[in-house]
Amino acid sequence: MDLKQKIAEVVETSNAEFTAQCYELDEAPALGSMVKTKNKGCEIYAILYSSSTHGMDPNRRIIARGQNAGSEADIYRANPQLSKLLSTDFKALIVGYSQGKAVLQFLPPSPASIYAFVYPCDMNEVREFTQSLNFLSLLTDARLPLSPDEVIAAFLRYASLSHPSPHDFLVKAGKEIAWLLSNDIRRLDSILKRLQG
Amino acid sequence: MTLDIAQVYGQIEAMATDVKARQADYGQKFDFALQTISIISDNQEQLDRKIQNARTTWLVAGLKEKIGVRRPLKTCPDNFIVVASDGSHIDVDRHQSAHLFLLNIGLVQLQYGNAPDACFLSIPSLYFSADELSIRSQDGRQAPLEGPLLGIKRGVEECRYLADRVCEIDTHLPMVALIDGSLIMWGLVGQRYEDFVIDQLLVNGFLKQLDRFAVLNQRNQTAIASYISFPRSTDVVNVLRVQLCPYDPVDCDKYCKGKFEGRECDRVGGLLDRVLFGELLSQGERSALFSSSSSIVEKYGSHQHQVCFFYVKLDEEVARVEVPLWVADNKVLLDLVHSAIVDQCNRGFGYPVALSEAHEQAVVTGADREQFWNLVDRVLNEGNISLQHSLKQTSKRVKWI
Repeated sequence: MDLKQKIAEVVETSNAEFTAQCYELDEAPALGSMVKTKNKGCEIYAILYSSSTHGMDPNRRIIARGQNAGSEADIYRANPQLSKLLSTDFKALIVGYSQGKAVLQFLPPSPASIYAFVYPCDMNEVREFTQSLNFLSLLTDARLPLSPDEVIAAFLRYASLSHPSPHDFLVKAGKEIAWLLSNDIRRLDSILKRLQG
Repeated sequence: MTLDIAQVYGQIEAMATDVKARQADYGQKFDFALQTISIISDNQEQLDRKIQNARTTWLVAGLKEKIGVRRPLKTCPDNFIVVASDGSHIDVDRHQSAHLFLLNIGLVQLQYGNAPDACFLSIPSLYFSADELSIRSQDGRQAPLEGPLLGIKRGVEECRYLADRVCEIDTHLPMVALIDGSLIMWGLVGQRYEDFVIDQLLVNGFLKQLDRFAVLNQRNQTAIASYISFPRSTDVVNVLRVQLCPYDPVDCDKYCKGKFEGRECDRVGGLLDRVLFGELLSQGERSALFSSSSSIVEKYGSHQHQVCFFYVKLDEEVARVEVPLWVADNKVLLDLVHSAIVDQCNRGFGYPVALSEAHEQAVVTGADREQFWNLVDRVLNEGNISLQHSLKQTSKRVKWI
């Protein structure tokens, strides 16, 4: 792992997901993108399903500051302390891990370590990981605070760009989703429509 | 049973009636005070002499400018740095197992202009060894550092960390270092502390730190100031009392001993400086410069750190700003302090944003205190170190009927 690329640090962790705090404000990876972290020699892969920017101190309310500012950037220029008082976090759902050369598409034996660094996956890693789509059941079965279908569609669109033929990848993924959601046509329809976008 | 609020209610109503009556009285006093200021302006030299010869039972400001003068707000530099410190502490608790205290200093550095930046620091220090827990003289006397004396020690440390930080900043930009509260060590006034205590806390403590800012100012423009929100001081109103006094030289004990009303000077008695300057000044303006005549300031020696002050009118209040003499005598530095403080208050919704954030870094909450003492107990237990609690402490923790 290239230390220069780390973007965040794990601040909450469990078997199925982790929360990471970004080093830069408002610089969370996009919804559905793939990130990785480490624990006990294995790399853990996860898909970002939610990001938020909030005050570091839950007792301090964020107030509007820009009424007389020309741009949003002016607010930060006039109030440099804001970058230290606000934080961007993201939550990522674990979809697999690698042990040695093997990539396994189920949950790792241990959660990510707290304070573990988080890195974005490059497109080669995404392509490697999505050679198999067994992990999709972890996404379709996930109970998230937002619709998992949004996350699935966002991830597949993003992952398709790592393949030589994005269209072929999406058709393959669509078939896998159709099999997983064969008893829920409404959800299947919802995801397939989002893949066309 | 805790506080019976129903029983207090009637007393609060009586207090409110009293406040209302006093406010009605204020109006008359206030008009008279303004008239007195305009009279003084014509002949301030005579008043100056009267102040110097006066023996009063209250503090009278020294006049460094015409009393009614209003100084407009100068433009703040485009690029500048504000550094502020604040502190909090956990005092020695004789009911706890371990004898120690903790100081937590919050430091904030804010840079404005072309390269905006911020740095926040929270620095906790635990004091537990015998020589840290008291101030000692060379001949074996000692004063335990706890209660009010610890509060004074904390003030010195706030200033020390602030000076450390300012010295570390490698910049050519103008800098303003801000302290919350007063540059006057009021805690040392009237407490009959022995000379070695005053020497260590004031002469070799606080004033030594102020020296560092003065030295730094020779490298690049650096001012130190303290900010007092909602001040209750009456030093300037007391100047008016001297003016109104029919006796010359003024001598409260000689002519008015035991009298608290009905004197000529009582025509402005009870007014606060901030009320006076709230009317005299316009938005952003500062008052004339004054010097403090506090007895503890006399211990500052004929020193460059003699405490001077001015009032400044902000959006929502009149604040008192104190600066050492070397800042007061330097027009560029004084304008820098004036403009930076107004700018800080504008950015901080009425209160200097750097001080506000320094407070947030320093604050030790009730929950923090509990966690701290629990941690102390745990570490001592893990080390098989047996220290006794007071039973009073145990009874507060374990509530029973």
